[in-house]
Amino acid sequence: MESTESPPPLPATPESILKILYRVDGDPDRRPVHTVGISATGFFKASEVAPLYCRAAHFQPHRGGHPVTVRFSNGSGCKDPHDSWSDVRGMATRFTLPAANPAEKTYTDLIAMTLPEFFSSTPDDFQEFAWAARPADYVAERPWRKFLDMLKLMMPLRNPYPNETISPDLGAMNFAERNDAAKPGVLEAASIGAPTCYLRAAYHAVHTFIVTNEQGVQRPVRFSWQPVMGVRNLDSNTSNPKPANGDFYLQDQLRQSLITSIGKDHPRFTLMMTLGEAGDALNDPSRAWPPHRTRILMGTLSIEEIVNDPEEWEKISFNPGLLTDGIAMSDDKVLKFRVETYKLSSKQRNASPCPFSGATIHDTQG
Amino acid sequence: MTPKASWLDSFVDGLPTRGWFQFLSRHVVVPYWVWRDPKPKLPGGPRPSPQPGENLQRMMNLVMPLKDPSPMGRAKAALIVAQNVDEIFAGLDNVGTVHNARFLLLGNNLCMLSVYDGDFSNYIRDFIATIGSVFDAIMDQVEGGEEVSPTEQKIERFIDWVQAHDLFQVPDFPSDLFALQDQAMRRTGKAHGLRSLPREYILQLHANPDVSLGGGYRAYPGVSAAQIRKNHGMGW
Repeated sequence: MESTESPPPLPATPESILKILYRVDGDPDRRPVHTVGISATGFFKASEVAPLYCRAAHFQPHRGGHPVTVRFSNGSGCKDPHDSWSDVRGMATRFTLPAANPAEKTYTDLIAMTLPEFFSSTPDDFQEFAWAARPADYVAERPWRKFLDMLKLMMPLRNPYPNETISPDLGAMNFAERNDAAKPGVLEAASIGAPTCYLRAAYHAVHTFIVTNEQGVQRPVRFSWQPVMGVRNLDSNTSNPKPANGDFYLQDQLRQSLITSIGKDHPRFTLMMTLGEAGDALNDPSRAWPPHRTRILMGTLSIEEIVNDPEEWEKISFNPGLLTDGIAMSDDKVLKFRVETYKLSSKQRNASPCPFSGATIHDTQG
Repeated sequence: MTPKASWLDSFVDGLPTRGWFQFLSRHVVVPYWVWRDPKPKLPGGPRPSPQPGENLQRMMNLVMPLKDPSPMGRAKAALIVAQNVDEIFAGLDNVGTVHNARFLLLGNNLCMLSVYDGDFSNYIRDFIATIGSVFDAIMDQVEGGEEVSPTEQKIERFIDWVQAHDLFQVPDFPSDLFALQDQAMRRTGKAHGLRSLPREYILQLHANPDVSLGGGYRAYPGVSAAQIRKNHGMGW
């Protein structure tokens, strides 16, 4: 798909980013990315040590746990599900916070994805990345080119999936060649594969947050969800069979897992919090922290059932800035930019507004 | 609609699994690239870092080629380690910054794998100060060992020797290899295509055939041996 359009001017704005992100095979009435998704409910139980690190309400012990709603999604902005295609997956979690008056519920969100890092460290870089990675015509590499790649010991381009006509891959790869910050994310995204089930992937909230405990001690942290069932991807070579309906199995698989867990242990995720230290990329989501940082088990999330009204729940807007006392945003520019972009996206698709009325956006530390 | 893959597509896609193509790659393609784009051997051990977390639970993967790799030579090395366990364990206790250490006979090598806190040179210096004589017996069994023996008297040379035999630690994030190679080759500003990463790994693994793959898993990262001693009231 040759385009003569020129990239939008910098600085990036939520409007300009959203305009770029909507794909031609997307749906303007739905999300521009993570378009296909499904929501489930469950509860989160804080660990015994969680209050030592964070005074946020959902990290305090609570009988029965804190109610949560989780939306699992495919990362693509394509309106049709292509579950077996290699793609980033998302897990947005809304915690319902305890309130003295049940009519005045407040919430906090944690938005995570299967990539451990983002593609860029600033909104402007992200706009340039998103522009470069706009889905373009994707055809199989010619056999002689592949052969040449093999002789150059280079990674040949993957074959298109059945019915795949456009893809962001080539543009993303070319962008990463010129931009070191994009390399880890693009490399990981190119080989991330497809999970056998939404419950069998690890999800990372790539941004740094500042948590504060009762004593006022502040720490830079990053959160990750680890599936208790273990991480498992579809494997083209070996034991994991391809699902019969490769384009649409993740939602069925989730439903099935929840049905078979009735009366037994619910599928669970543990919430791990990694403590950053001086010298770590505290404000740069394109850089994952080394795997040798202190980790704290903050709690366990149990998924119970698919929400009653799935279509209505697709209208719910999550926002990474929906925080609560005890958790604040870091100075990560991408994180701050996402807050405004998610709000605008919610408005554009006539979704339920982000419920900021009941909670505060904590955009300063503390 | 995506066009269906032709027989030629399928044939080329299957090349990496075909014996003749693997033979061609191993004996022609890789040697050509090794000649065309040689990589320097990258230094072993953890890379220097001012960050506290990077200076705790560091790995040493010391690979020492045996002079006599026959079963007799291997048995001799095994017995020397076994007969000096008390001295070695006491020495490691005295260093005070070691989480764990063990010896392996692997291939034609005697290996010492350990996890320690802090500076590498200090670790080796302290270690040799307490068990130097025992380690000399081990060094008698390995190639080049005589050059650094007695270790107590040739401590700086011994530290360099250990560093040269400590495995290169492949970065935890694969694309970081580009920067490590550029640094070693003193070049800046080179653009690297992600699709060339497999070649860079092949060439680097030619220069460093034995490596540690990443920094490894740690059950209690960020905790020093001293903290464990203090917080758990256990001593060594």
